[in-house]
Amino acid sequence: MIFSWRILPATLLLYVLGTLASPTSETFQEELTLRPLRDGKVISRFSFTTLREGAVPRNPELLEAKDIPQYYTLFPLGLGQVLREYAASELHLSLNSGKWDYEGWGYPGEQEVGTGAQLWAWISDGGSATVDERWKGLRNALAGLFCASLGSLDDQRTTSPKLAFVPVGDLPAWKLPHQLRHATLPSENVCTENLTPFLKLLPCKGISGIAGLLNPHRLFDADWHGMSVHVSWREGRGIEVRLAFQAVFDPVRLSIDKKRDWSLQSIFDKSIRKACPVASSSRIVVELPKNEAYAIDPKPSIVQEGFAVYDTSHVEKDLDISLRWPLESVFSYPLDPPLQPLSPLSVQRILKGTSQSRGQLSVSIRNTLPSEVQAVYLETMPWHVQFYLHTLKILVNGHARDDPLSDIAYTPPVPHGRPALLESVLRLPPNSTTQLDMDVMKSFLRYTEHPPDAQRGWDLPPAVLVPLVNSTSFVASGASTLLGNDMSRRPRIYTRTLLVDLATPDFSMPYNVIIMSCTLIALTFGMVFNLMTRRFVVVKLRETPGRNEVPMEKTE
Amino acid sequence: MDKSHYGSRNPSELPFESPFLRRCILAAYWALVLVALPAWWHTTSIERLPLPMSQVMAQTKREIEFPLNIRLSSAVDGVDADAVAHELERSLRSRLSSQLFVLPTGLNDVSVSSEPGSYWVKLTDGVQESVVEENVLQHRWDVRDSTASSTLANRLAALLSPYSEHAHAEQHEHVVSKYASRYHIAFTLLNEDAASGKSALSWQIREALQRIMRPVFKRLGPLHNFTIESQVQFHAPLAFTPTAVDVNGTEVYGLTPEDLTVFVNSAEWTLSSGVTNDPILHFLLFVPSAFRRPLHILDSAGTLTRSHSFILPQWGGVVIYNPPPETQGNFHILSSQLDSILPIFRHQLLSLLGVPRLPSGVKSVSGSLSTWQIDALLRRRAHENAREAQQTLGSIVKLVEQIENMPVGKDVKRDVEDALSALDQAFEAALISPKLAFDHSSRALTLTSRAFFNPGMLALLYFPPEHRLAVYTPLFASATVPLIVAVIREFAAWRKQRKTAASSGIADITSVGYCPSSATFDHNDVITKVGLNQR
Repeated sequence: MIFSWRILPATLLLYVLGTLASPTSETFQEELTLRPLRDGKVISRFSFTTLREGAVPRNPELLEAKDIPQYYTLFPLGLGQVLREYAASELHLSLNSGKWDYEGWGYPGEQEVGTGAQLWAWISDGGSATVDERWKGLRNALAGLFCASLGSLDDQRTTSPKLAFVPVGDLPAWKLPHQLRHATLPSENVCTENLTPFLKLLPCKGISGIAGLLNPHRLFDADWHGMSVHVSWREGRGIEVRLAFQAVFDPVRLSIDKKRDWSLQSIFDKSIRKACPVASSSRIVVELPKNEAYAIDPKPSIVQEGFAVYDTSHVEKDLDISLRWPLESVFSYPLDPPLQPLSPLSVQRILKGTSQSRGQLSVSIRNTLPSEVQAVYLETMPWHVQFYLHTLKILVNGHARDDPLSDIAYTPPVPHGRPALLESVLRLPPNSTTQLDMDVMKSFLRYTEHPPDAQRGWDLPPAVLVPLVNSTSFVASGASTLLGNDMSRRPRIYTRTLLVDLATPDFSMPYNVIIMSCTLIALTFGMVFNLMTRRFVVVKLRETPGRNEVPMEKTE
Repeated sequence: MDKSHYGSRNPSELPFESPFLRRCILAAYWALVLVALPAWWHTTSIERLPLPMSQVMAQTKREIEFPLNIRLSSAVDGVDADAVAHELERSLRSRLSSQLFVLPTGLNDVSVSSEPGSYWVKLTDGVQESVVEENVLQHRWDVRDSTASSTLANRLAALLSPYSEHAHAEQHEHVVSKYASRYHIAFTLLNEDAASGKSALSWQIREALQRIMRPVFKRLGPLHNFTIESQVQFHAPLAFTPTAVDVNGTEVYGLTPEDLTVFVNSAEWTLSSGVTNDPILHFLLFVPSAFRRPLHILDSAGTLTRSHSFILPQWGGVVIYNPPPETQGNFHILSSQLDSILPIFRHQLLSLLGVPRLPSGVKSVSGSLSTWQIDALLRRRAHENAREAQQTLGSIVKLVEQIENMPVGKDVKRDVEDALSALDQAFEAALISPKLAFDHSSRALTLTSRAFFNPGMLALLYFPPEHRLAVYTPLFASATVPLIVAVIREFAAWRKQRKTAASSGIADITSVGYCPSSATFDHNDVITKVGLNQR
């Protein structure tokens, strides 16, 4: 490499030094976590991590400079080029379908479980292209890459919250600061057309290794499924791309004899045949049931802290892991005693009111922890629904209080332009239910702003609750160092999406309006014209016997 | 007349009831309609600026022509440089262009080599083969050889105009990619199935590119900018199964010519990055699966060929790499191993970009591209670009003429005018330097394609005037009917009035025109009544 430094011109050399450290080595790791749930379901979480060691995000001030060659081995070229083209330092995209049941399933391994599409990126200022221009390019490029309607995450959906979305990795210390752009599209559906490009970003695609289990027929049949892409940079380490797929299967539904036994074959309809030759680590982690009789087959490589770990870096013969409850003939849902929620915090959000012009947003947050929890509450609302902030009422365990809410940041919406952003810090007392009520106004949309199938209503993005504690206390069962790299991060809880019914016009309206106004104008014109050109004449009333009134008129 | 009876006057005597005033009002309405019509038409019509048609037509007939200046000097005893030069000029003019000049010059004329756009032929007996270096051709001249003159003429013709001389000119045209100022060059290492083992997990492409491809990219810098990217794929299945062939008892696999056409499996291989609109040239190094080795290319008769590479016209090149059979386990392709592969890519790249090869019997001194080749390419691209720009201009004019609803905005007009002037400049610059002419021609091409693909030209294509009328019909129909009827009635009244005046000559005709003859009046007994003005 020394050789190549020398022959580069000095300017280019500086530029290369500034943006790309010496030749990069890349590593790829894959992991599948399977977790049986008490309601008989199984959470599966695929995580594929590619690290490009020593790489640095592109400084936007150098976007105009001549592009230097890019050499990729394991790192996905398609995504790498998008990141370079728009100089995004950190990026998170998630596409989910279904409603995550925090109380029944616990806190998810992949925390971004908001329904629909969510994209947020940290982009540095600088260069001739503004942050917003690059944000627009970025979402369009990702829309093309993942075949999703991310292009509609436009200015009407983009916000910049201050507290809820902190960078996961490090941000390079350039002259100009980084800015956050966040947008959600709750009505986006996830399907096979998104999974195919997702698989193509993996070094072993869907052919060998753990990714071979990603069978779209089964994944999109799952009760909950979602995929996500996370790009972050860590100083001294490099740029990391993590592709994740999370799905909640229901083996009871799939089985004929109503048992909750499952195997890779039964839930994915596939087994692992070949190892991915380039994975530096590849493993399957199965969380073992507690206080129950179970049988797991084949014998795991390691059993540790209630987890069975299989090393899949070398696969000699087909690997099909199965977990059985041999003493159980039929799975029955545990109803008695009442189930303890697996998540210490739970949020419910509903939109009340039947009218098409007014409504009330009601959020109820329950804290089951014995200690006070501070949490950031974030509400990003398209301008279709506008808050009346002065009507905000807070009830803690049924008593009105003012103090739980602090640090309110509110960006009012601009009709047809910008969404509203409400971000504040909530103090949730121990073992309490906090309720927030606020009146909202539903906007009247322009004729062209209605989506196809306007009668269905508008999906409103999920609100986000970020407890200001680390996630250890949130993973209900056996928090383990084996599981996940998310432990040090703050958890993020998404509420369900809402559907709002806005006043919808009769869509033949413009033609009716044209005809109506034309008729009125024509009538007026006719009257005026007639009056001006009318001829008035004198008509004699002839007295006829037997007919004493002969109204005579003469007009022409 | 008696007006006191009902306290009212005879309406026909009211000043505003005079026929003249009524006709004035009617005329005013019609005048307004007639004045408003052009205004309405103008405001709802689309902008169609006139394009310089005649200039475009004149421009499309022009041909770009490059004068060629060749200096000839001789270091061979007993050779008359003047005579050779004259002979050469006569023979080459008939073959290439009338703008060709061969001038005899001194051996050590330093100014010649630095003169732009000219070539120097040095006749010598000191070399075995003809050698080109920059713009100088060292040609071996054998005094005893009677065909020496025609050999030199052939060499020069092949150097100066390599495309017309090309044996398979048609096929060659087909391979060369369309001109673009910026190309993406994507190198991909494809393992058919890395999970089967014995596959290439990485390659030292960076170092090899730096050494082998960089000089070429640099030399072609005046014509194109290159953006380079490389990637490795570990699972690149073929869409077909290669044919198994038995060769001397061992089984090998072969790709038939039909297989080669469907070799690239674009559904499964993610080759392009998709962030750019620039054309991409792909260079694939394909490592077959461990179960399908060695993989060879078959000819149409089904026998093995020695070649392991092929060009996909205008798309890129493919090299098949069969690792040595003794390979155990997965391996890495080292930079030194790429030394045998990258020259094939280089050759494919040059073919795809249309860089001419040196004619047989001529060698390049350093193995790099000579000025002769680059200039020939510049002339060819300038020629192509100019022709393309002319054709596009012609198409724009034709299209605008044919489709009457197509808007022609200011930017289209400006682009067309700028393209015309760029073409003019290209024709002028052709006399001085091929590089300048090429620059202007490529600018002309960019401008014409921008004008041709201007989104504004499509704006109202689907909003014909029928729609415009249809929307306003409820207004126009109901407003024009009373207007027309009033005119007809007024005209009828006027004719009747004239007739009556001619026949009776009675002065008291105040109400004649307005009353039916059947009605008899008693002026003492009148009412005024307003009714609807309809019969």
